[in-house]
Amino acid sequence: MSVIKSEIKKGDSRQVGNFKLTPMNQVLSVQIPGYHAGWVWNRPKAVVVRTSDGQERVLPVTDVTRVAIWTLLASGLLGAILMGLLYRVR
Amino acid sequence: MTDEIIPNKSAEAGLEVIQNTMEEFLAASDVRVVYGEPILHDDTMIIPTAEVLCAFGFGIGSGSGSTSDENPEKPSQGSGSGGGGGGRILSRPVAVVVASPEGVRVEPVVDITKIALAGLTAIGFMVGMMFRMSSRRHALPDIEE
Repeated sequence: MSVIKSEIKKGDSRQVGNFKLTPMNQVLSVQIPGYHAGWVWNRPKAVVVRTSDGQERVLPVTDVTRVAIWTLLASGLLGAILMGLLYRVR
Repeated sequence: MTDEIIPNKSAEAGLEVIQNTMEEFLAASDVRVVYGEPILHDDTMIIPTAEVLCAFGFGIGSGSGSTSDENPEKPSQGSGSGGGGGGRILSRPVAVVVASPEGVRVEPVVDITKIALAGLTAIGFMVGMMFRMSSRRHALPDIEE
């Protein structure tokens, strides 16, 4: 039994008009062998759109909130470090 | 004469409950958990998506003992078992898939409150560092002996 497992899964396809939609998700699971504990992170990855003429397009599902939060926190931390360095140089 | 140990049926039942709970938690990795039921409105279909985070843990234990050493004339035996556990499932909307005859698009769901809190925290980092540095500069010099 693996400790950390990451896999991409595909769901059932749905037909909407001329489009066939296939949802995809990414699962990151952590299970510690010997211990009865685990952690599962499941998030939407993309939607595969197939048109009636056979063209296939992958639409990524971006978590804008998560990206914004991490960007803000990283910039705040970086800004604080830079500010500290600038004060020291002066 | 010693008492016979009766198999603990409640422990088996407890294990079954734990097993079922663990299976329910592991079901959180399914695609259907992340993609909600499609909502049809005229020619347009809307599929809500969410991220799911779940954590769980449990423990079980059992033991038995006898008092034959302490009281050899009237020894007694006993056993017991117990278990406990806990877990949490967190879910958060991420985006909405809109499929219409014109095309398919993914509309993000933006949580302004969380972003604002992260922004305030970032400003807090910088203001805190600024105060720390300015207070260090204005501090009185050490008295030389």
